[in-house]
Amino acid sequence: MPVKKKVPQVQTAEQVEWVPKTEVKEQVADLRSVLDRIKAREGVIGYILRASTSAAVDIKDPSKIIDYAVLSASALESAESLSKTFGLGEISNIVVEGKDLKILLLTIGEHRISVFMEKNVDHDSIYREMT
Amino acid sequence: MNEEVYTAALKNALVEIKNVCPDINKAFILMDNGTIVAGDEQVVDPSVERAASSLQSLAEKAMSVGGLNDLLIDGDKGKVYVSQVNGMYSVMALSKRADLPFLRTVTGIILPTILKVLNSIGSETTLPAPIKPAPHVPFTQFRPIPSELLEKEEAVEETVEKAEEVEVPEPLEATEAEIEPEAEVEAEVESPKPPIDLPSQQLIVDRFGGLMVRADTVQIDFETLERWSSLLDVKEIREVDIETFSGKATRCKVKVISDQKYEGRGLIRIPEKTCETLELKRGELVRVKPVVPED
Repeated sequence: MPVKKKVPQVQTAEQVEWVPKTEVKEQVADLRSVLDRIKAREGVIGYILRASTSAAVDIKDPSKIIDYAVLSASALESAESLSKTFGLGEISNIVVEGKDLKILLLTIGEHRISVFMEKNVDHDSIYREMT
Repeated sequence: MNEEVYTAALKNALVEIKNVCPDINKAFILMDNGTIVAGDEQVVDPSVERAASSLQSLAEKAMSVGGLNDLLIDGDKGKVYVSQVNGMYSVMALSKRADLPFLRTVTGIILPTILKVLNSIGSETTLPAPIKPAPHVPFTQFRPIPSELLEKEEAVEETVEKAEEVEVPEPLEATEAEIEPEAEVEAEVESPKPPIDLPSQQLIVDRFGGLMVRADTVQIDFETLERWSSLLDVKEIREVDIETFSGKATRCKVKVISDQKYEGRGLIRIPEKTCETLELKRGELVRVKPVVPED
């Protein structure tokens, strides 16, 4: 009697990714609703929410979008470099203060968030609300 | 006063700050000419150099928020506090429980005071050349500082004074009136032409491809190119700089959009190969600046 060859049961990509995809979507929706709430605060100028393949931007002055995006990417890169140099471990948040504005940068899961605000805004309370 | 004396004074200042704030683990100062001054016997290794270079790059990008004043990185094993003083950056690695307001006060007093003293001593000598985003040093910094401040900083200043006796015979007597005209002349010599403020525009990316498409040539609306050439007073714009959302940049040749249906939509048509290099997708925004022809 011929022996039946066992076919290994391989999950298709769709089966594997279905559940996490939904979770990610929910997480993004949650983050966006929190960020929209934060953006409504007085003095908050906007935010950039970036994942590996997508980005959501809501900045009051659209002409500044690229400047702010480049700045937040550069701040993250610089913070990672300084963190490695000084052995800071995992970064919980970064605050960049300029003469006119400040930015709070943090990472939640695979999402990198930058919140732009005026200097008198309490960034600690924003951080607490985000995390 | 030469740069060595300047560096030695800053080194001493860092040691003093570390003595006052034991929460500081490591510290260095990134001078406005890119030199790194380490606090004690600590070695400036390549990782510190890399960090300093990324900090310089961040300082350039931070012009959109009025320049980089402070940077605080909060990690689970410690913090890094970067503070701008007269165009230089003090970088301090702190323990997790460091008293940040106290540190801010100390560095905010000691470093500017020392820099003022050094500037007043060496007002007639050449200070390190500023890096790109360094703010203009106001004339007030060359004024002799009040005697109370000098007394306060006496201990830190000792080494500087010794060197000063040898190299600079009469700097403290210099009055504002004597210094200002010289500074003005220097400013005139250094910047004979006002910098050209290049126009830039955010455009929406459209990819295109084909056998005969050159990867190094992008297409933009005729009106945009016309406006740029009249603004810059050149015959035609041949090249543009493209900067992406993620900070990637490239220079490409430019032509007018050849297909009428894409005209007047605020598009930049970029060949697929270039899009891949810049990791661009259709519909993304990029900033485009014209390149002024050299001749």
